[in-house]
Formats: sequence, C-alpha cells, structure tokens
Amino acid sequence: MKESLVAVKKAVEELDIDGVTVLVENCLNEGISPLEIISDGIAAGLATVGKLFEEGEYFLADLVMAGECVNEAMPLIRSKMDPNDAGRKGKVVLATVRGDIHEIGKNIVGMLLGANGFEVVDLGVDVSADKIVNAVRDSGAKLVGLSVLLSTMVGAIKEVVDGLTKAGLAAKVAIGGACTSQKLCEEMGAHAYGENAVQAVRIFEDLRNA
Amino acid sequence: MTPSERIIRTLDGLSVDRVPVMCAGMEDSTSFEVLGKPLIPPSLLAKNTVMNWIMDKGWKVNSRLLRKTIWNSYLNHIRAAVKLGFDAMWVLSGCETLLIDSKTIATINGMYYSLIEDAYGNADYMYRGPAFTSRQAFKEWPYFEKPVDFADKIFTFFKKAVKLYGNDICIIGQAAFGMHESIVGAFGFDKAPIWVRKEKELIRQYVDWIASLELAGSMAMMDAGVKVVLQGDDFAHKTGPTFSPKISEELFGANYRRLTKTVHDRGGRIILHTCGENTLLFDMFMSWGFDGFHAYEPTSNVDIFKEKNLHGDKVTIIGNVGVDYLLTERSKDEEVKAEVKRLIEGLAPGGRYIVAPAHSLNLIPAHKFKVMIDAAHEFGKYTGKEA
Repeated sequence: MKESLVAVKKAVEELDIDGVTVLVENCLNEGISPLEIISDGIAAGLATVGKLFEEGEYFLADLVMAGECVNEAMPLIRSKMDPNDAGRKGKVVLATVRGDIHEIGKNIVGMLLGANGFEVVDLGVDVSADKIVNAVRDSGAKLVGLSVLLSTMVGAIKEVVDGLTKAGLAAKVAIGGACTSQKLCEEMGAHAYGENAVQAVRIFEDLRNA
Repeated sequence: MTPSERIIRTLDGLSVDRVPVMCAGMEDSTSFEVLGKPLIPPSLLAKNTVMNWIMDKGWKVNSRLLRKTIWNSYLNHIRAAVKLGFDAMWVLSGCETLLIDSKTIATINGMYYSLIEDAYGNADYMYRGPAFTSRQAFKEWPYFEKPVDFADKIFTFFKKAVKLYGNDICIIGQAAFGMHESIVGAFGFDKAPIWVRKEKELIRQYVDWIASLELAGSMAMMDAGVKVVLQGDDFAHKTGPTFSPKISEELFGANYRRLTKTVHDRGGRIILHTCGENTLLFDMFMSWGFDGFHAYEPTSNVDIFKEKNLHGDKVTIIGNVGVDYLLTERSKDEEVKAEVKRLIEGLAPGGRYIVAPAHSLNLIPAHKFKVMIDAAHEFGKYTGKEA
C-alpha cells in the first residue's frame, strides 16, 4: 500500500483530527482515487479503531474522535468523488425515534456506514414513524437503523416496524441504543440488534445480504 | 430500626433486619398516581398564555418561579415514596436549574433543555444541547454561580425536606451534577473528547468549579440534616466507559477524593450513581472513597453478581432492577417479584445490598414500585446469621 494511504490510515487510528485532511490531500495529489482513500485509508483506520474499541483499548471518547477525523476528511474526498460511487452498498435510513433526541450513537453509526460504502439518509432525532416510513419509501432504502436511548420511547420502534409493514415496504430494521437489547428487538419485531456502534457495519452487511 | 438506620448500617456493612429498598428518583406521573393529580399541575401552568408571558420576562424572576414549582414537585415525590414504603430516596433540589423562557431551561453548568410534555401530558424537560460551543461561549456564560450562593438554596430546600420527611425515609441528597457528565453535557457529547484533549486548562478550571459547587452543596445538605449524599455522574455507556480510566482519574480523581473525605469527616456517607458498564472503573471509584455504587443497569453489560464477589465486602451495591422492561406497564407482576427474589438471593448474603430501580423513569406505574417493595420485604429478611 502507498505510504500516503498508510499515513491516512494511521491518522485515523491515532485520532489525528488536525492532520488527517492534509494527508488526504497528499493522496489526491498523488492521483489516488477517492474510493481507494476511503477503503484503504479511512475505513481501514476505522476498522482498527473499532477493533481497539472492542478489545477495550479504546473508549467511546476515542470513537467520537475517530468520527471527527472522518468528518474532517470526508468533505474533501466527496468533492472529488464520482457521485455514482457513493453508497454502492445501498441506502440506510437512520433516525433517533420519536421523543428521543440522543444522537451520538446514531452519528457514529452513520459515520461508520458512510465510510464503508453505504449511503446514509440521516433523518436526525425525534423522528416520527410516519417520517421514517416516508423516507424509506422515497429513498428506496432497504435498511433502517433506529436509535433509542430512553426506555419510555421503545414503543416507537414498534410504530416504525408496523408502519413499514402497513406501507408494504420490506425494509429491514436494526436497533441500538442504551435501553435496547436482543429481547427488546424480538419484542418489537425488529430484525437485528447492535450492542455498540462498531457492530453496525457487520449488521447492515448481513441484513443487506439476507 | 428506622429507614435511615437501615440504610446507613447497610452502607457500613453492618447487620440489618431486612434488605432496604431505595427509590432512585421519581417523576410526576408516578407521584400523581400515588397522591392524586393536583388541580393545577405544572404542565397546565407551562401551557397558560399569561404564564408564558411571565416566563418570557427574564430568567431571574422565572428561575425563582421554576424553583418553587420544582421544590413542590420534589417534596411531593418524597411524600409519594414514603407512602409507597421506600426506605430511602435519591432527592435532587433543582437549584441548578434556570428558566430562561417559556420554552427553555438551562442548568448553571452549561446545558440547555427544552420544556416538553411527557407521554402523559406532564411537564418535563429534555436535553437540547450544550451551551459551550466555543471558548467565547464559555467565557461569556452568565450563569456561573458562586458555591456559597448555590449552597444557600440547597440548604433551604433540604432543611424543608428533612423536616417534613426525614423521620419517614432516608433522604439521599444530591447537590448538583457530576463532574464527568457536566463536561459531556455542557461541551456536547460529540465535542467533549476534543475539548478534553485540546483545552486542558479550561476543562480543569470547569471541573474544579463543578467540584466546589458539589462540595459546598453537600456540606449544606448535611447542615440541613441529610446523612447520605449521592453523586450522580454517568461515567459509562452501554458497553464501557466514555473516557479511559486514566483520563477519568486525571480529570476527576483528586476532586472526588476530596469530596468523599469531607463528607466522611462530617460523619456522612456517600454513594456514586453511574449508569452504564463501569466494570473497568469500579476499582478506581473505590479508591475515590465511595461507600456505595448505584445503577448496575441491566441493559448494560455490567455483571452485578461478579461485582458482588469482587467488591461486595467493601462497598454497598445498589440497584439493577430494570426500568427498560421490568418496572414498566409491559411486565407482569410475577416477573418483577421473581427478579427481586433473584437479586436478593445473589446479592443480599453478607449484607451490603439495597434493592433499587436502576434509574428514575417517568412512566413507572406506582403499582410496579409496590410489587418491587413488597417482594423485597418478602424475600429480604435477615435472620441475623447472614449480615
């Protein structure tokens, strides 16, 4: 792998928010394609960060910092990207459910999915079931990610699952967030549960291939 | 044995007659269910046009108005907890809260909240975002308060609470807010790690100010008659700590050690409430000098039984009754009863366990609280040999 790509990967791994954009620029100047920068630089670095997180070497704050690195680097990469290349793995509608405004987990999931070839339609926080169903219909997304922190709002998951079924949309729903569990996933009729944000890429790849 | 004796002896690892039960905060919906809904509930005031006009007049007048409303509400929560039969209650004062306008609440440590209605139409508030979005915003924050002024208000509230209910329930008082969660909330969940890394001096100054409020507030509570102090500070999320143990020790260790020592020197006890999966942090928390830990959220990966084996002889374990399912309308009474029995069987031997919900929640039916308390009474009796 080219040295400049290794440098981008390392910058993400080491959470170098201030240095990553210049390193991406170096790659582009060397003629490395945006897709290659994303897959071998950004996504590869994020994979290491995710591994370190799951091994207990990195903490949530480090995931957030890695996310900031990506946010710093992506605008430049996107500006040089062929629009057809984005979202080659399909669309994912992401939202924090009605009545809940917590978004850090959702944002990390969005960042990880975006860096791994998914097109993310992020509806934000406190999003009604109707709005989510409409977004799935309008975007043609086959995957939905719902974030819920507040125990009082878990019923909103069911509203989305039922809303999708009623609208005849076959999108698969994954849930995550502080109050969620595999048991809740089954209770609400969702298709997958993620314990942490790092698991999201694997979960949506599995759902996509199911 | 009075409720306070039962709680304090449990925190000290001494024998008690039965496993105590703590209320981890209550919300209006539950207290209305127990005590009856007031003729003019806070939500009605919040919707009233004239009240809204007054609320939009300026934060100084508003905040006095809000404080009065919150204090009435919190005193009713204690009354409801007494009526339900709790031995202890985690009580906040709301003294850190400011009513900025008819739609906005702020806390003096730099967080904005929206005034909302909960699912039952009761007045509630929800985190809107951080106040400190830049160095300038931090520098110009008009609501930093002197610890002595803050402590005065704390004293007034807890004096009243202790006078009204101190004999019926152990009031476990929290002065303000945790140092860790203040950083996260006031600087933003997604920006706090960057502030911590890049603005060390400013963060140090901020943490020291929070610690001084907490210290002054805790002393004021104890002057008012509170015997057990609680620090609510969420250090972790579902699967692990937010910051590494090393960063947490550097940022908060010295201030927490000072706080626990001061509370102990004054004859009090001190509990740490922290949500999430704190397994990697418990040794550090113990070195900070806490007498008990609360939460052990069942939706996180923390294993309360392992913690009992590891630390249960030196610290009191409190909580683990889930508010995600068990204490909601969705569960069956038998499930609540069975879970309380399971917790008591695994955690009560040797003493140092207090049954409690893992958190407060605004949709806990009073009936579910009652089932939990009755089960604790039924299964939690000590014969004298165990503790």
